[in-house]
Amino acid sequence: MEFTHYAWLIPVFPLLAFLVLTALGRQMKGIATGFSILAAAAAFIMAVLVFTERLGENVVDYTWDGFKWIGIGDFAIQMGYEVNNLNTLMLVIVTLVSLLVNVYSLGYMKDDERINTFFAYVSLFTFSMLGLVLSINLVQFFIFWELVGVCSFLLVGFWYTKPAARAAAKKAFIVTRIGDVGLFIGMLLLFWNMPGNSLEFSAIHNAAHTGALSANVITAAAILVFIGAVGKSGQFPLHTWLPDAMEGPTPISALIHAATMVAAGVYLVARTFPLFEESQAALTTVAIVGGFTAIFAATIALAQNDIKRILAYSTVSQLGYMMLAMGIGTMSSYTAGMFHLYTHAFFKALLFLGAGSVIHAVNEQDIRKMGGLGSKMKITMITFAIGTLALSGIVPFAGFWSKDAILTEAYHNVPVLFWVALVAAFFTALYMARLFFLVFTGKPRSDMHPHESPAVMTLPLLVLAVLAIIAGFVYFPGNAWFGEWLLGESPGEHADMTVMILSTVAGVGGLLIGWLLYGRRTFTEDWVEARALPAYQLLNRKYYIDELYDNGVVKPLRGIGYLLDWFDRYIVDGAVKVLSGVMTGTGRIGLRMQNGQLQAYGLIGVVGLLILIVAVVGRRYFHVG
Amino acid sequence: MLDNIPILTLLTFSPLLGIIAVLLIPKEMGHWLKTAAIVSTLVSLVLAGWMFIGLDHDLEGMQYEEKATWIEIALNQEAPNLNAAEKLIYQFNYSLGADGLSGALAFLTALISSMAAFASVHIKKRWKTFYLWFLILQIGMFGVFLSRDLFLFFLFFEATLIPMFFLIGIWGFSDREKAANKFLIYNGIGSAIMLIAFLMLINTAGFSTPQEDPTQPLQLIYSGDVGTIYQNLQDPGSYANVHHDRVGTANPFYMGLAMKEWIFLMLLIAFGIKLPIFPFHTWMLKVHIEAPPSVVMIHSGILLKMGAYGLLRFGVELLPEQAQTFALLIGIVGVVNILYGAVLALVQKEFRLILAYSSISHMGIVLLGIAALNVTGLQGAAFQLVSHGLISALLFLIVGSIIERTNTTELNRLGGLAKAMPFMSGMLLVGGLASLGLPGMSGFVSEFLAFLGLFETMPVLAIVGALGIIITAVYVLRGVLAITYGQLPEKFQEDGTVLRDARLTEAIPMIVLTAFIVLLGIYPSVLSEPLHHALSSMLARIGG
Repeated sequence: MEFTHYAWLIPVFPLLAFLVLTALGRQMKGIATGFSILAAAAAFIMAVLVFTERLGENVVDYTWDGFKWIGIGDFAIQMGYEVNNLNTLMLVIVTLVSLLVNVYSLGYMKDDERINTFFAYVSLFTFSMLGLVLSINLVQFFIFWELVGVCSFLLVGFWYTKPAARAAAKKAFIVTRIGDVGLFIGMLLLFWNMPGNSLEFSAIHNAAHTGALSANVITAAAILVFIGAVGKSGQFPLHTWLPDAMEGPTPISALIHAATMVAAGVYLVARTFPLFEESQAALTTVAIVGGFTAIFAATIALAQNDIKRILAYSTVSQLGYMMLAMGIGTMSSYTAGMFHLYTHAFFKALLFLGAGSVIHAVNEQDIRKMGGLGSKMKITMITFAIGTLALSGIVPFAGFWSKDAILTEAYHNVPVLFWVALVAAFFTALYMARLFFLVFTGKPRSDMHPHESPAVMTLPLLVLAVLAIIAGFVYFPGNAWFGEWLLGESPGEHADMTVMILSTVAGVGGLLIGWLLYGRRTFTEDWVEARALPAYQLLNRKYYIDELYDNGVVKPLRGIGYLLDWFDRYIVDGAVKVLSGVMTGTGRIGLRMQNGQLQAYGLIGVVGLLILIVAVVGRRYFHVG
Repeated sequence: MLDNIPILTLLTFSPLLGIIAVLLIPKEMGHWLKTAAIVSTLVSLVLAGWMFIGLDHDLEGMQYEEKATWIEIALNQEAPNLNAAEKLIYQFNYSLGADGLSGALAFLTALISSMAAFASVHIKKRWKTFYLWFLILQIGMFGVFLSRDLFLFFLFFEATLIPMFFLIGIWGFSDREKAANKFLIYNGIGSAIMLIAFLMLINTAGFSTPQEDPTQPLQLIYSGDVGTIYQNLQDPGSYANVHHDRVGTANPFYMGLAMKEWIFLMLLIAFGIKLPIFPFHTWMLKVHIEAPPSVVMIHSGILLKMGAYGLLRFGVELLPEQAQTFALLIGIVGVVNILYGAVLALVQKEFRLILAYSSISHMGIVLLGIAALNVTGLQGAAFQLVSHGLISALLFLIVGSIIERTNTTELNRLGGLAKAMPFMSGMLLVGGLASLGLPGMSGFVSEFLAFLGLFETMPVLAIVGALGIIITAVYVLRGVLAITYGQLPEKFQEDGTVLRDARLTEAIPMIVLTAFIVLLGIYPSVLSEPLHHALSSMLARIGG
């Protein structure tokens, strides 16, 4: 059996779950959640089967494009699905994290009265994300790209009575939409420049490499596509929505805002990588934005106090890492970027679910009020510690290998980016140490009664913890399996002892300083806050970017709106009023006939008809000559 | 089977069935009147569906043509030497026909009318008169989309104004009479300009010289037949296009370039008022707030589309070269519409005004599609007509149900409805998302095609216009979330019974409209295939 040919089934399972839950959710109180979990499990099994099949020798990519979406003139836009090693990897990541989050939510959302709606949305998201991954062309990709965005919007605003959730949902949708318009225009540009008006990814690959597209078009298209990725992956300057999106339920933060959807931007760059390869300007843009975001978000994370926001800025920073890797532009840096996407999905989902376990236990998100939770929540603490080590890049956890792969590429190709990334790695370890020690060690700093979470929640933590340890072993110095499988060729040797030592120094150093500051001392007040006020304030307020956008964009736009409203009311409508005043003045007699009686209107109609006839007949008198 | 049945005439006058029924039912029996009207619109819907499905997608030109000479008027011939014709006749024809474009819009009319008939259950007074005007309006709308004769088109076009005037003026909200008058004044001006343009077209290009028997004297017949006018304008050697001094022609008036441009410009303004284009839009704001929501469904869902349809059918199809001349103007006006409407929608405090300005913005997309003057763009424009019709009908359907319960759609007096009315709030969100062009629903397809088309010819305008997509998301979410998210206002917290969720009669039309919106989003070929020939033939002359 060729499982690859049945890959379309993978998104169909969660779609069915969504449809059933939406239509019958109210009637099937208890079993609705089971339906969603079952669908996620089926999708995961199918994805694994496809993956296993693709491990063999001589596998070929499979494409089906039999659905004619629309035909316009001489060309048609076909929809279908494509299976290659890149998206098989994504399929496994998405279905696995989705399955674990489904199970976890059974515990986390247990008491929510809209739990069925929640599971329906999660299923819809899983379907959309899988559809995105399998898309064969940019239009289809864009459709699913927007659908995952709307699912994110729905789930961020899931607790819709909270004003903060409403604002965050709106912001998530609108800010990513700014990026989407970039991608949209990029799509239009490519459409008219591609041979045969084809937007298929395979055609884009060929056109970029064969020179069918001019250099300017490639650069413009690549940068426009990247703008879309910037919005979705929370890169500077469109990063502001992602931390706010933490208003959503925590399992959602793990699934959508850490492991899958936000990584879709990186996947998009990977999918259209040949465009970037052919344009140095586009690559440089990607690398600079990614590198800057990596260090910029890491510094903000140093001074946040909400457990989820710290992790959110960490996600932004790590996505910056992946973009940076893509921006270096070699095949091995591309591999490194995808490798980091893959390991990050596991350990960041682990950290978010761990944070969810903490929030579930103490009903509090401010780490300054926590402390000493480790003694009561052993599994959560241990798994969280594993996640922390993986994210901080400590040997031999998964994050070390993927981060090392990126750092090595940067070191050999663009040394500046290497140092930026190294400092970011140091900050990463520092803020994670701060988070970990403030939450799990020391004494409780407020009155709370923590308890370990139920098994449905700890089980996913354990699974992810195992993955956070072992996921990196597919690709490390001496073992290039992952790269060979992904690319179909050897990505080249990527080991460098200097880099390994430096990255370990940064990681361990960050953790050590974090421990000195937050772990060793008995916490009374935030030490950093007390001593480095202006810098802390700047980071705590996230460099005032939100305020800048509010005063620089939102308020002026609204101001223009009020101005135009006045203009519309008094100038446009006013001019018409004057005009109609003149008309009604001269037409008093005519108006008197408009007394609402049908006969009068009939009469007017007849008169009109007569005028028409006279005009036709009489014109001959006027035009002769 | 369809060949033998005058399906278009049956469809156009199918509301007569309802009119007769309504006339026979005593005016106190509101329930029966409503049922009769709904059944009548459903009959029309079935006929329209039958007609639309029966269209052959591979045929160019009109199908189901039905033609009858209505009145013939012999014209005087004061100057016998003027031309070769012995006999001059003006012929009023009753002539209907449908291609993909008019067929789709006629189906849209039938669909939205029956959904509006459902929504009219909220009408509280004078049901009998209401449904009479309602059904007369429906005849007018069918006629507009199916007429193949300028004069007949004009009659049907006018026949929509009067019912609309009363529907706004009698059943509207507090300021209804002013709104109705404003509606009539603006549309009256538009009609006058349209009439002049039509007369100019008939006089210059509306002639034919049928001469089966060469021994008989030459006849010159004038009529508003669109096919004839199209043929005459299309043929560069036809009398309409060549000065008679040079060829010695039967037709005394030929159509110079300047005249063609004037006619096109007049059509642009006449239909632009209806569309509406900036700055002729203020009348429709008033209609949106003052007319009863079920009437706004028709107004925003269908009547606005008549403007765009007229522009396509008579502007672009008859005078494509002039459309080319004015394409840049149309494109700029389109972008202005998009951005002006969107920015204004951003600051409105009344949800119906948000929707009104959003209509202006969305009609800008139609203009962009037309300005593109390629098949892709015209597809986008036509798609947007259908899509916006469905979406605005859905939104005003929900608005009607909300007003019935809360007596307001002011944003700061509403909130948290999702708690009390989860189904209706969900539908409102779906409608909002469709309106902001979410893929998977019809709005995305039209936006995509219109911008795609325009990008080929005017990329800069397309990019500027695409910024409207962002603002659209802002104002739609602002409006919808202000109503459904957050906490219920205190007023409604005490008495929860007021806010009951949708009844079955409300839910059915919501689900039906949503189903069509999603169908068009997922499988746009159902609309693009029938549209294809209708639109590509419009551009045949300019090589589009």
